[in-house]
Amino acid sequence: MSLLDKHSIRQSENLERTMKSVQRWVAAAIVIGLMVGSTALLAGEMKVDAATASEAIAQAEAAQKKADSVNGEWRDTGKFIKNAKKAAEAGDYAKAIRLAKKAESEGNLGYQQAVSQSELKIPSYFKAMYQ
Amino acid sequence: MIKMVRLVSTLVVITSAAWLTACSNKPMTKEVPVAKVDPAIVAAGKAIATGRSKGNCLACHMIEEGESPGNIGPPLIAMKARFPDKAKLRAQIWDATAVNPESAMVPFGRLQVLSDDEIDKVVEYIWTL
Amino acid sequence: MDPVEPMQTQLLTATGRETMKKLLISLAVLLITAVSAQAGPEEDRMAFIKYYKSKFPNVPMEEYANGAYAIDPVGRENWEAIEEFPPYEPFIDRGQVMWETPFANGKGYKDCFPDGPVIAHHYPHWDKKQKMVMTLPLALNQCREANGEKPLKYKKGPINNILSYIAFQSRGQVVNVKVPMDDPDAVAAYEDGKKFYFTRRGQLNFSCASCHVQNTGLKVRTEILSPSVGHVTHWPTYRSKVDWSTVGTLHRRFTGCNKNIRAKPMKAQGPEYRNLEYFLSYLSNGLELNGPGARK
Ligand code: HEC
Repeated sequence: MSLLDKHSIRQSENLERTMKSVQRWVAAAIVIGLMVGSTALLAGEMKVDAATASEAIAQAEAAQKKADSVNGEWRDTGKFIKNAKKAAEAGDYAKAIRLAKKAESEGNLGYQQAVSQSELKIPSYFKAMYQ
Repeated sequence: MIKMVRLVSTLVVITSAAWLTACSNKPMTKEVPVAKVDPAIVAAGKAIATGRSKGNCLACHMIEEGESPGNIGPPLIAMKARFPDKAKLRAQIWDATAVNPESAMVPFGRLQVLSDDEIDKVVEYIWTL
Repeated sequence: MDPVEPMQTQLLTATGRETMKKLLISLAVLLITAVSAQAGPEEDRMAFIKYYKSKFPNVPMEEYANGAYAIDPVGRENWEAIEEFPPYEPFIDRGQVMWETPFANGKGYKDCFPDGPVIAHHYPHWDKKQKMVMTLPLALNQCREANGEKPLKYKKGPINNILSYIAFQSRGQVVNVKVPMDDPDAVAAYEDGKKFYFTRRGQLNFSCASCHVQNTGLKVRTEILSPSVGHVTHWPTYRSKVDWSTVGTLHRRFTGCNKNIRAKPMKAQGPEYRNLEYFLSYLSNGLELNGPGARK
């Protein structure tokens, strides 16, 4: 075997070793990721009680108010909050939380939608008409 | 000999790369062109796309066999030819205003009119048109 | 003189001219954008007319008062058949009774509006004293309240009767909305209405302009989208749609168009819709009033 050959073998061995360690790291990362992810998921799903529901509803109402303050509220946000309250009263906290979260994100999106257009911008399909 | 070793090491690199992608990413089956789509998913997508309460695509687009379609948007035909890249089609449905801020199309994903899962189904259906 | 020098000056003037040209161009561009950004009501109206004229070159101006039927021959046929036995007629008659019947205090609408019922073309207008846009429904309710009567609801119900009577009596009058440009509050109200018109809202992310400008003439399902010039000439309007089947106010229509795109509607006769009405009505200046109307 020539010296060169030995060199290449060593190179490929090195490469294999690096690959192996990369694989090990990736595997570890996946395991850790899964653990973190599932605990987060569990934590998110764990508390389905009256307090969490009323907290979610309060947050939804705050978001709704924020959207309304810029005339950006959507049609059904209020309905979702009303139904969330009803569900909470009936003891269906999971449903109450789901609806409240939906209303909250609608409130946030409606707010962003309005604020992002705080300056009047005549669309290009119409702007040309002024010339 | 050198060639042999080179070949082996290349192979090692390729297989490890393949192994890495295989377990660190979602399965790539969507990229395989011959992948058959579950007809149940297409049917679910059709229901979402043509129903009035969910996607309501027909409000603005002509779809073959769809009743009383609007014509604000282009007819939904030859979709595979128009969108060879399925991801582009999905992006168009998710938020058309990202590419064209003046698009009149509803940003179905961004404004949460449809869930990601519902959009996936609609994409599968629309792609068959 | 160094022979190089004249060449240099020449070069200089050449670049100077180039810069001058660029400067002038950018100035012109600036001016144009400034003009379109702060276009006044008349520039806006002309822009709308120019837009629709280019879309519908064969539609005469006066036809715009007929909404979608100006551009939809099939719908027009049905509409003309409906107009032969106007579904809004009974409401005009009831409105006349309202107009002539005194309130509990012995006074009546006639006392608030001494010039008679031909008044629709005076609205909306800028009310300098109250610093707000005055609409006809609001003026009617202010008259009622000044005489100890309960105000009427603004979307459905008897307000449509008296509005139908006034609209019918005012047929043929010409829309002539004025925005006093020397009154910054009036201009601001107009601009507010214009901004509302161009703002995308609701979960479906449409502005009034998305439908009634960008896509005018096209169909949402089976409905052809009408131009906004002509939107205000025929209120209240009888709609045969199941959840109407009666006459409704302009603000009820605004409410419907906002709900369809999943936006929370504004309060009828609140400042937002009144300002919107101010802007929208200005666009119809020069058209004849032809209310009450009938639509799908
Ligand atoms: C999703 C599309 C859409 C949007 C957005 C929309 N409209 Fe409409 N609008 C319609 C349709 C459809 C009709 C019925 C057909 C027609 O007359 O255009 C209509 C009718 C009207 C009419 C009655 C026209 C007539 O002749 O009686 C008025 C007024 C009106 N819209 C005003 C507005 C205003 C103001 C806005 C913004 C707040 C708005 N619309 C937003 C779709 C829309």
